[in-house]
Amino acid sequence: MDIIISFAIAVLFATGIYQLLRRNVVRSALGLVIISNAINLFLLAIGAYDGTVQSYAKAIGVRSDALPLALILTAIVISMGGFAFTFAMLYIVMRRYKTADIDAITELKN
Amino acid sequence: MNSQDAILPIAIPLAGAGVAMLLRGWPKAQRLWTFGILMASLAMCVNLLNHVFSSSKPLVFQLGGWAAPFGISIVVDALSAIMIVMVQFVMLMGCIYALDAKDIAKRYSVFMPLFLTLTVGLTGAMLTGDTFNLFVFMELIVISAAALTAMSDDRSGTEAAYKYFYISQLATIFLLLANGLIYMSYGTLNMADLAIRIKTDALAGGPMPPMFTLAMVCFFATFMIKCAAFPFHFWQPDFHAAAPTAVSAMLSSVVVKSGVYGFIRMTTLLFEPFAPQLQQVLMLIGAIGVIYGGFSAFGTHHAKRMFAYSTLAQIGFMLMGIGWGGTLGIAAAIVFMVNHALIKSAMLMLSGYLASKAQIKSASFENIKGLGKYLPQSGVLFFVGSMALAGLPPLNGFVSKMMVFRAGIEAEQWAWLAAIGLASLLTLIYTMRAFQWVWFVPPAAGVKAKKDGDSLFAPTVLILACVVLGIWGESLVSVAIQASEWVQQPAAYIAAVHPAK
Repeated sequence: MDIIISFAIAVLFATGIYQLLRRNVVRSALGLVIISNAINLFLLAIGAYDGTVQSYAKAIGVRSDALPLALILTAIVISMGGFAFTFAMLYIVMRRYKTADIDAITELKN
Repeated sequence: MNSQDAILPIAIPLAGAGVAMLLRGWPKAQRLWTFGILMASLAMCVNLLNHVFSSSKPLVFQLGGWAAPFGISIVVDALSAIMIVMVQFVMLMGCIYALDAKDIAKRYSVFMPLFLTLTVGLTGAMLTGDTFNLFVFMELIVISAAALTAMSDDRSGTEAAYKYFYISQLATIFLLLANGLIYMSYGTLNMADLAIRIKTDALAGGPMPPMFTLAMVCFFATFMIKCAAFPFHFWQPDFHAAAPTAVSAMLSSVVVKSGVYGFIRMTTLLFEPFAPQLQQVLMLIGAIGVIYGGFSAFGTHHAKRMFAYSTLAQIGFMLMGIGWGGTLGIAAAIVFMVNHALIKSAMLMLSGYLASKAQIKSASFENIKGLGKYLPQSGVLFFVGSMALAGLPPLNGFVSKMMVFRAGIEAEQWAWLAAIGLASLLTLIYTMRAFQWVWFVPPAAGVKAKKDGDSLFAPTVLILACVVLGIWGESLVSVAIQASEWVQQPAAYIAAVHPAK
């Protein structure tokens, strides 16, 4: 389980960073969503899932902690609002320029 | 004063925002209500400042009665108290400017509620004693400020808001990651508790937890984006040119201070054992910011962009102050923060005033060149403001720059001092160039000021505050030195929040 979750976090992070750097505004916004999900999964992993010892304790054992779940819930709610807002603004910007190419959206630079 | 009062500067505007939303059908009532709420909340902040200094110990409120490491603590110490008074005073001035502005933003019924939630976010970020709570308030700042920016007269307002939101959202996501990493290392998110654990671990001399350095770096990067320090400044000038005046004045003066405040807390409380290394980096990015910001401001053709780059330079001075550290360095940073908030918001409001008087609503220099002939009183304010920005006596900018240089002399950093001393002369050059273009060049044929425009009341009050704080600067300086002495002794902060240890 540990290894699966670690791989999932790594793959999500890598995908997110890769999408973030694309020259397409929609893809770069989706990269942000993917990174935020990777971080939520990471928060789940630091809380671990079964056992009695906390993740930060230096003792060796099966680890578990409920607090990160509360952090994830808060983070999910906040990021949902944030991403809805992101895509709403993106829609307006793209409708104006009629393109998703980041190099074409340049009116602000001077 | 009860400990519950510590939360009132957050609770009053938050409740006020809800009521203001209900008043959306009555725009006039909504504006008056917002103004009243900001007044009440500022009065509460001043009251708290007074209380904290007279009782000379931090006022701590444990939310819900949960004791320190478990619950969320709201801590009002000297530094936070000064910061919240500064934030709420400048926000109140921004509200007054917005009341009388002719912007489109005024027609949106959510403008005033968002202004209040921005105040909540800023105040909360400066009062909270919990890093996860800091993340929540940072997110509130970002989303309110982006929505406010989008309500612009400029057609690229949404683009500016998107740019700002995207970068800041990335920063807050990494703040969340930093929270996860720090929780993984120490099992607590309370700043006082963390400070104790990190110090014990560092003094023990063994290796730090594996993710600890990454957590520190994530915090550092987040605050760098928040205060738009050198390598992360690129998004700031772009959205300044497009945001409504009242909003850009707030973003450049108080929102960036949340990052500087974060750096002070990082080097004196959270990561105190690692402060020397952090301070080295802060000095470097501060010095580069001062020089780079000065030159970039010189190369702009838009008044608001010019002041945005000038913010980069001024933030550099604050970071130098924190980087030099010690009582004098931190005090210099605090004085600089307060003075810069007053000057920069006044200057951006004056640029917005000029834009509102021009035929096309834009603060680019070719558009407002020569317009000053019809607007002499704003010329006086602009002149005094630019003298304050450049740091000439007897204005408050002089006091803050002198504090920074004194801190540098105390720290014996001669090379840095020479570099930023020369770079600070650039301020005088670019502001005077702008002054000359607007007030001394004769207007081109057909250029006339419009009859109706924004009101000069808010910038006048701010410039008066600059003059007053320049002539009677000792009060602010002595308060800042006292606050700096407090933050130099994190033990007092920790004892107030976490009496068990």
